[in-house]
Amino acid sequence: MQQKSEKRQLGQRRNRLRTCRTDKRTMAQRRISGGKLFITVVYLVAMCRAVPVNDLLDRASQRSDKMHSLSTLLTQEMDSHFPPYGRMQMPRPADCHTSALQTPNDKEQALQVSESDLMSLARSLLQAWVDPLAVLSTSAITLPHPSKSSISSKIQELQEHSKSLGDGLDILSGKMGPSAQAISFLPYTGGTDLGQDRVTILNKFNFLLSCLRRDSHKIDSFLKVLRCRAAKLQPELC
Amino acid sequence: GPEWELAFIICFPRKFDCRSREKETFSCWWEPGSDGGLPTEYRLFYTQEREVRECPDYVSAGANSCFFDKKHTSIWAEYTMTVVATNALGNASEEFRITDVMEYVKPDPPVNVTVVVNSSAPSPFLEIRWKSPPDVDVRTGWVTLKYELRVKQNDSKEWKVNIGSETFFNFYNVYPGLLYMVQVRCKLDHGKWSEWSNTIFAEIPKNHQLEKYFWIFVFVFSLVPFLMAMYIVLLKRNAVKQCLLPPVPGPKIKGLNAHLLKSGRSEDVVNALMGNQNFPPVAAWTEQVEDFLLVSDSDEWLLTDSFASEKNKDIFIIPAGLHLGLEIQRRDLSVDLNTWEKTDDSKEEAKSNFSNMEPINLPVEKHEFLNGEEKSIQPLASTSYVDIQQHPTLTDYSRVKEVNDNTILILNEEEIPHGLDAEEVKSEVSVPDDYSRVKEVNSDVVFLEKGDSADGCCKKKEDHYTDWTNQKPIMPLESELSKGFCLKMIASGYVDSGPAFSVK
Repeated sequence: MQQKSEKRQLGQRRNRLRTCRTDKRTMAQRRISGGKLFITVVYLVAMCRAVPVNDLLDRASQRSDKMHSLSTLLTQEMDSHFPPYGRMQMPRPADCHTSALQTPNDKEQALQVSESDLMSLARSLLQAWVDPLAVLSTSAITLPHPSKSSISSKIQELQEHSKSLGDGLDILSGKMGPSAQAISFLPYTGGTDLGQDRVTILNKFNFLLSCLRRDSHKIDSFLKVLRCRAAKLQPELC
Repeated sequence: GPEWELAFIICFPRKFDCRSREKETFSCWWEPGSDGGLPTEYRLFYTQEREVRECPDYVSAGANSCFFDKKHTSIWAEYTMTVVATNALGNASEEFRITDVMEYVKPDPPVNVTVVVNSSAPSPFLEIRWKSPPDVDVRTGWVTLKYELRVKQNDSKEWKVNIGSETFFNFYNVYPGLLYMVQVRCKLDHGKWSEWSNTIFAEIPKNHQLEKYFWIFVFVFSLVPFLMAMYIVLLKRNAVKQCLLPPVPGPKIKGLNAHLLKSGRSEDVVNALMGNQNFPPVAAWTEQVEDFLLVSDSDEWLLTDSFASEKNKDIFIIPAGLHLGLEIQRRDLSVDLNTWEKTDDSKEEAKSNFSNMEPINLPVEKHEFLNGEEKSIQPLASTSYVDIQQHPTLTDYSRVKEVNDNTILILNEEEIPHGLDAEEVKSEVSVPDDYSRVKEVNSDVVFLEKGDSADGCCKKKEDHYTDWTNQKPIMPLESELSKGFCLKMIASGYVDSGPAFSVK
């Protein structure tokens, strides 16, 4: 099952690349002379790379920042009405479904990781939350919480940002090499149902949101380090 | 026992708090419990899922604290802290869990906040600059700082707030002469806000120079249209005068030019009216002369009146010398020459006589018209008369014998009007002192019929001419008579001379 979804992703990527190449061929066929053909090819290659990497990274990090902001607000909103269980009873972050992924935990480590690895980590984490977000989205509608409508809308927004960020990172990773395109598979095994009773549902919801907050922060931090590293001539981007 | 006492001491959860200033290090503090007076040692042990370690630094963060430096700090990792209190009685411990150091991130406030008033045109504004808090690394992208700035007037309660990522801000909503307060704070990676920085004060100077320029500008700009308006008014002053002070329409005498009247000398005026003739001096009222002047404005009267056939019918005209005490400037009076009526020769004489009189401010066109005019009796065109202003005017009313409301004119024979040729007239003045000759009285005028004896001054009545002009019937007349002049009566005729003869 893992391989199927991976193959699907690779196929999608190939299709995108194919369309790019096909465009090149059809346009190139219109040219007659060889010299003009060469110039045209160069021109088209440049067009395929019209948007500079720095700009793409900037946009990507803005999205991840928005995602992190939303998830922070969500946890605060949950806590405002239902204080957490108590620090001792809270599920531990090691229980998050993404805890298996090895990530840098401080600045020095993060600055030593290569760009491709940083990109790969970000994409892996992002991919790992596609399914859980869907579960959260369906559960939020019937959540036994006074602010459930606000929570539900924020989760929907999170999903949209996640989708567009994923697309953007796909394009970016395509420019960065194969190691950037590798994704670690982190499946969500929590199932579609959060629980039967109110307390269980709320606890699970809370736990998922805290995991989401941490992972969105990781994604945001890695992308911003990437952005700063790529824009060496533009320190204001850091 | 002692175990129980110790357990009691540490049994309750103590406050435990941590803080990270820059997402690289963090510190934790615990509240010491009551130690019963015994010296107690506190130790902190932490674990990150594997081995248990002891706090690396009990000092840097103060008393009852533990400082974790960069090597010992892991973000997104869980810490389980155990605080152990040990004294002579034993030890007790308390456990605290930190799920994520990021939950405790709270930076220091921004530093080097400067506020400069920029007074450049068109209006002053505040240039606010600051720097990121120390120890926060903004160069590698590991940390994202967001700043919040707030400005308010010193005496206002509302803050104007701005959030951004830059380390500068230009605040334009300022007014001269006011004092403003500025504060800045920052946030790290959507964590907690820092404390506000120290308040910076800035005062906008009152820009007197700008005010001066402003008023000069206003003055110049209001002066220009004013000057233009004055210039236009000056150019069109005649039109303006016409508009504001509409001229009083005055009488017009056919054939006379008003300009001549205005500009002409009295002699010219008189000549214009009557031609260049020399009138004989005003003759005294002679009793023998019993001429009647018919004054009328219609032909019918002339034809039907029994007197009309009389040869020596004269149309009575107020003698020129009759001073009515008017000091009215007659500008627009013009003489209707058609009203002259006289006999053949006497007319000329009278005319010349008339012309010898004192200057008359009669606005008469200098016209040779009279010279060539036929001496024919012509119907009266109108019955208004002209006031003849003499120089000097007679203001002495002592000569008036009697005035009643029927506007009887009574002559005083003793005095001679100034305006006349006094010597000639003096002898001819007589006073009508009986009313037996009153022929007719109408509302405005009493017409006296002078007998043969009474009228010395009317002796040469043909010599007397009065200019009488068409004038506005509303011309007020003062009831001042000068002697030496008499009223010629109209025999039985009707004189539509109400206004002309009104004496008030």
